[in-house]
Amino acid sequence: MFPLLILSPLIILAALGAVWMARPVHAALLLALALALNAVLYLLLGADFIGLVQFMVYVGAVAVLIVFSLLITRQDDEAEELARRPKSFVTGLVCTLPVLGVLLYVVSQTQTGKQQTETVPQVPLKELGITLFNSHSPAVLAVAVLLTAVMIGAALFARETKSKQP
Amino acid sequence: MTPLATLLTLSSMLFTLGLFAVLTRRNAILILVGIELMLNAANINFIAFWRYGPPDPQLAGPMFVMFSIAIAAAEAAVGLAIILMVFRHTRSTDLDKLDSLHG
Repeated sequence: MFPLLILSPLIILAALGAVWMARPVHAALLLALALALNAVLYLLLGADFIGLVQFMVYVGAVAVLIVFSLLITRQDDEAEELARRPKSFVTGLVCTLPVLGVLLYVVSQTQTGKQQTETVPQVPLKELGITLFNSHSPAVLAVAVLLTAVMIGAALFARETKSKQP
Repeated sequence: MTPLATLLTLSSMLFTLGLFAVLTRRNAILILVGIELMLNAANINFIAFWRYGPPDPQLAGPMFVMFSIAIAAAEAAVGLAIILMVFRHTRSTDLDKLDSLHG
């Protein structure tokens, strides 16, 4: 419980930075920090394998991909972003505060007091693999097909088409 | 506050922050950042309910998160490829400038 109370504000702060930083690269790096802290949270909650997967896929792949895309599409529009900010800030608050209110209200109304299991549930890696490839094997196959399609699609999209350019 | 309530509050706040980023940012890549935050908020919920809910021998929570992470990675790859393609056409990732379908 106690580490949770330290980690949660850190995650929120990192995410706040990712949302708020005017310079895109700073926002992306803070997103990487938030995702890494999220992985630590999973490790803390006993989902070791998920924490490591989160670290590898999100921090290692997605965050790095975002930073690279920012480097490729580099443009210095911080002044524009800062000038636009007061207006978009109001719009964003008007749209998101009701959502936050409803979510927090629902959480506060939920009865979570009963099921306090303080023993961390053990997840042997072998059992995880057996479950994954027995009862979830159709989903694994579907994800495999999806990832193949995504790989081909992304390569096609990102390909230079020189013949079409005038 | 119980640990479950703490985690649910954390994920609500993360989701709202992601929504805020999607609504206020104009750079397409930073909108993807907001989407990643929202997906992460959902994943925290799965792990929280698995950890503090009734015992689950089928491991539904971690399984769901694993597939969710795989799909989020796929979404980021395709999204960034599309953004790069748009950038090559317009030399900009500002979504306000993509108004060629505007009537």
